[in-house]
Amino acid sequence: MNSRDPQNSTGEERASAGGVRLRTLWLRLLSEQFKQHRTRLLFGFVALISVDFLQLFIPLIVKQAIDSLTAGTGTMVHLLHISAMIVGIAGTVVVLRYVWRRLLIGFSRYLERSLRNQIFSHILAMDQYFFSRRTTGDIMAHGSNDLAAVQMACGMGMVAAVDAIVLSLAAVGFMIHIHPTLTLYALLPLPLLAVATRILSARLHHRFNHVQEQFSLLTEFARSAVVSVKLIKAYTFEQHQIDRFDRMGETYIHANIRVAMINGLLFPVSSLIGNCGLLIILVFGGRLVIDGAITLGDFAAFTTYLQMLIWPMMAVGWVANLTQRGITALRRIDDLITAEPILVDAPANPLLLPGTGKFRAENLTFSYPGSTIKQLDHVSFAVDSGIIGITGATGSGKTTLCKLLLRLYPVDDGSLFFGDLDVNRLSVDQIRSQISYVSQEPVLFSDTVSANIGFGADDVSLETIKAAAEDADIHQEILDFNNGYDTVIGERGITLSGGQRQRIALARALVAERPILVIDDGLSAVDTSTENRIIEALRKRFENKTVFIVSNRIKLLSMTDRILILETGRLMADAPHETLLRTNSFYQSIHRKQMQEAGTNA
Amino acid sequence: MRNYGGYMEKGQSTPFYDLKLWLRILKCTRGFKRAMGVAVVLAVGVTVAALSLPYLVKTGIDTYITAVDLSPEQRFSGLVRIGGISAALILCGFVLTFLQVVLLEWVGQSVMHRIRQQLFSHILSLDLAFLTKQPTGRLVTRLTNDVQNMYEMFTSVIVTLFNDLLRLAGILVVLIFMNAKLAALMSLFLPLAMVLIVTFASLAREKFRAIRSQLSRINSFVQESVSGMSVIQLFNRQSWLFSQFDGLSREYLERTLKQIRLFAAFMPLTELMSWVAISMILLYGGFQVIDKRLTIGELIAFIAYMRLFFQPLRELAQKYSIVQSALASAERIFSMLDTERKIKSPPSALPIERINGAITYKSVSFAYEKDIAVIDDLDLTIDAGQTVAIVGPTGSGKSTLISLLQRFYEPQKGTITIDGHDIRDLDLETLRTIVGVILQDVLILDDTLLANIVMNSGCSRARVEDILEKGGMRPFVDRLEQGLDTRIGDGGRELSSGEKQLLAFARAMCRNPAILILDEATASIDSETESMLERAIETITDRTSIIIAHRLSTVKRADRIIVMESGRIVEQGNHQHLLSRNGRYAELVKLDSFAEEQEQGIGTSGSTESPEPFPIQHSNGDPL
Repeated sequence: MNSRDPQNSTGEERASAGGVRLRTLWLRLLSEQFKQHRTRLLFGFVALISVDFLQLFIPLIVKQAIDSLTAGTGTMVHLLHISAMIVGIAGTVVVLRYVWRRLLIGFSRYLERSLRNQIFSHILAMDQYFFSRRTTGDIMAHGSNDLAAVQMACGMGMVAAVDAIVLSLAAVGFMIHIHPTLTLYALLPLPLLAVATRILSARLHHRFNHVQEQFSLLTEFARSAVVSVKLIKAYTFEQHQIDRFDRMGETYIHANIRVAMINGLLFPVSSLIGNCGLLIILVFGGRLVIDGAITLGDFAAFTTYLQMLIWPMMAVGWVANLTQRGITALRRIDDLITAEPILVDAPANPLLLPGTGKFRAENLTFSYPGSTIKQLDHVSFAVDSGIIGITGATGSGKTTLCKLLLRLYPVDDGSLFFGDLDVNRLSVDQIRSQISYVSQEPVLFSDTVSANIGFGADDVSLETIKAAAEDADIHQEILDFNNGYDTVIGERGITLSGGQRQRIALARALVAERPILVIDDGLSAVDTSTENRIIEALRKRFENKTVFIVSNRIKLLSMTDRILILETGRLMADAPHETLLRTNSFYQSIHRKQMQEAGTNA
Repeated sequence: MRNYGGYMEKGQSTPFYDLKLWLRILKCTRGFKRAMGVAVVLAVGVTVAALSLPYLVKTGIDTYITAVDLSPEQRFSGLVRIGGISAALILCGFVLTFLQVVLLEWVGQSVMHRIRQQLFSHILSLDLAFLTKQPTGRLVTRLTNDVQNMYEMFTSVIVTLFNDLLRLAGILVVLIFMNAKLAALMSLFLPLAMVLIVTFASLAREKFRAIRSQLSRINSFVQESVSGMSVIQLFNRQSWLFSQFDGLSREYLERTLKQIRLFAAFMPLTELMSWVAISMILLYGGFQVIDKRLTIGELIAFIAYMRLFFQPLRELAQKYSIVQSALASAERIFSMLDTERKIKSPPSALPIERINGAITYKSVSFAYEKDIAVIDDLDLTIDAGQTVAIVGPTGSGKSTLISLLQRFYEPQKGTITIDGHDIRDLDLETLRTIVGVILQDVLILDDTLLANIVMNSGCSRARVEDILEKGGMRPFVDRLEQGLDTRIGDGGRELSSGEKQLLAFARAMCRNPAILILDEATASIDSETESMLERAIETITDRTSIIIAHRLSTVKRADRIIVMESGRIVEQGNHQHLLSRNGRYAELVKLDSFAEEQEQGIGTSGSTESPEPFPIQHSNGDPL
């Protein structure tokens, strides 16, 4: 599913304040899965309800045995008969229970998988706004906690709800059949149990969350201490860290004891209330037996039914909490899944963009959403091909310009053109498939070097990968790794230096073979002689194509065909290196500074 | 993406009967003996209360309900009396259970807290040589999950186990007391149940482990995807990525379904067992009732006890797997605690009064890993008060030289002295106070800037202000909204890498170290901060300083430049001297594109952004 899914177009409904209505949630997230698995659900519930009724017959059979024994009419054959019946029913129950567990709980896992896939595929279609508003942790929470909550509610929760309703209604029916008034007395304490469970388990959940929070604080503290153990030792800061860890541990103990206070009540409360019912049966039911109103078998059956009722009563409270949590989780998932990218994708009929390295900006003006500061202010320039440098102080708008080229943010009509076509008439995918990009701190994945470079395009041959690596001047270093191109990068593999990361990211961009290459300060950690070789290689590779390099290094800029200088969003200059050295005071000043750095008195 | 992130322990099972391990676990409860004793007494109370109820019901039936020879009124008042006793017992049971749960939680948590503290301070004291070889995840797991596993055993197992076993034993005793033969029949179910439980528990553990590992695979996949989303989208790899994800999520589904099948099979089986037991009681007990060897009340009590009997059995199944993972965790924790550190303060440290800061390395050799010498028979003497710059390619041993001086590692050969004292004769803490460091990595506490500067040095605010003034770092503080009281770190203001170095500088000056070490930042620093940092460094003239230099401007200012390569000093002298020698140093400067630019009349190295003006060589570098 992506943002164009028709189901998401019902966005107005959710705009009405106060969250999404349950019906909408049901339609959007659940109904399809329920429909798809309806046969499974049907058989599952039939099995579940059958189990409930079969279970209820057993006390009746036991009652018969006891009655016949009390009356002295019981015979061995009769007892044998009764025992066989119990075992037979129990055997059937076992089979049916197996069936419903597999079908119904299994269903919840299918549902979970479908939601998980929906979430992930939706995330893949989201833009930078989306990711800037949510932390990775938030998104991860949707993918784990919220899914688990929905799975529990639609699995065990749904089963327990049906089971509790059927079992309790039927058990009460059987009890009323034996003796209505005694039923009333015996059931008196049970609603209390439901209420107590509901209150306690809600509070338990709350306090348990607190424990989890404390635990993650503790984990995070331990992690950061372990990571910076060298610094801690260098500052002889061990005792301070131990003391802080100690205080956090104390808080953690406290949070746990608060949970234990509830836990210590929750389960005893159920046996307390169940036993109260038993007490009532003992006294009042005993009285009825004495008076001859019911038999001793009835008495025994009554106690069994009462014990059977304890579980549904506890379940009521539990199910209520599960449902509530499930719905909250569904809302959050729904929130995520209906979030739409601000960058409206294709216009109704996108024009076809021929492969080109040509683009131009006309009075391009841009502010980030929610901000009035103009990051770019009437910037105009045109690029046909060649290597273009961009420079300017921090915050002058260099990176913003790159992001706009990549269509990460929307621009006004008539301000940005690719191959003479207005970008707003083109689809985002089309434009992006023209550009490859290298950032200052590139993201690499925990995979082999060759997979990381080959990530740039589909089915890349090893030759292509090696050629790209050679042009990015990283080939030789890769061969020096333990497993060459099969070396794994990241936590489980080798750690790369900043320069190596940048060059691998460059190779990845080269593999994509696109007419425009944007390097956003992406050679900053590469030393100058390597940089030299890379630019030479790029010049060959990108003949008649475009390379757009953001940098503050005069050395690198001097190798470009022309240089754009930005200052607080305005284009101050657009000329080759030599011209700028003569005419532009900003350029002259950074040049002078970098010259001094290098030392002049050699 | 092939990320198998999320740290997973290797599968291992600790034998159940490892007596030494049990004893050591028991030792951890030192100081809680009395509380444990109380818990045991409470457990006995709870069991007695729970087990007397069916017996009271039986008494009610046999003595009153079916006692035809008494008058109805007598029978009913007897019943009420029994009801009263039961009510009292029920209430007692409730209160005792509550007390027991809370008490055990307290004991368990306190014991675990102690273990965790012990482990934490132990880990902080261990040698870097050991720590750097451990994945972060492993150490953190020891401190958190492993301790948590042990705790689960303490509260929910050791004593619940005790509760359950006590209850099982109690039921058997009551039953034998009521009817020995029937009791013997019921106890036949015990071994059967045990076999079932142990089988199930080990199967379930396996399934859960499989599910957990798959979930952590999914989680790290999502995490990596989210952080790399811009790359994924820019390269249009969404559908490829989704198919990868779909594979992971399908595997997860398969694994959860397997677990459901196991539970679907096992859960009803215990139920079946309890019904079979009841039917056998009915059959056999029924015969005995017919033969008048058993009363109806006893038969009903038997059935009630049977229900109580199977409940703890089911719990034992869960506890069994908890015990298994707790034992494995305990073993891992203890083995970590048993790891000894090699670098310790000497038993009687040299008393230190004043340190001038003269340093000598005498034929020092060091290797992180065998045979790969990082420092190779190195001799170096630095006079007190001298400023020395160390230059050289990555991996040449610059940082290692510093680590050895701080005694993070012990050289395999040779000695290092400060003012003629072997550093091994100095108290570790004193040594690390003498050597002040400004590293590229800066430890940031979630606190105010002031607290971050002072740390544990006990510096007053006025002194900090003075240091900032002298170092020309006022502008740095002034441009923060609340000056020294600005909160930094998580949830506070983010500092740039240049600002972090300024912080580290102020921090080091607070401690007034006799020897100052500076590892210059390689990352981009804005020019204002950079010049502030440069000026600040220029103000240190009164103490020995060693600078791992990345900037030519710094190098030139040093009294002496040391050029390192593969763990040796290849050249030393001042800037002019070294340039005129036209050796390795001159080459390094040339490689910095210096000469080439000279020809064009455009001198530049672009060092504002260049992290490493000297050629980068691939190496593992500093292991931290």
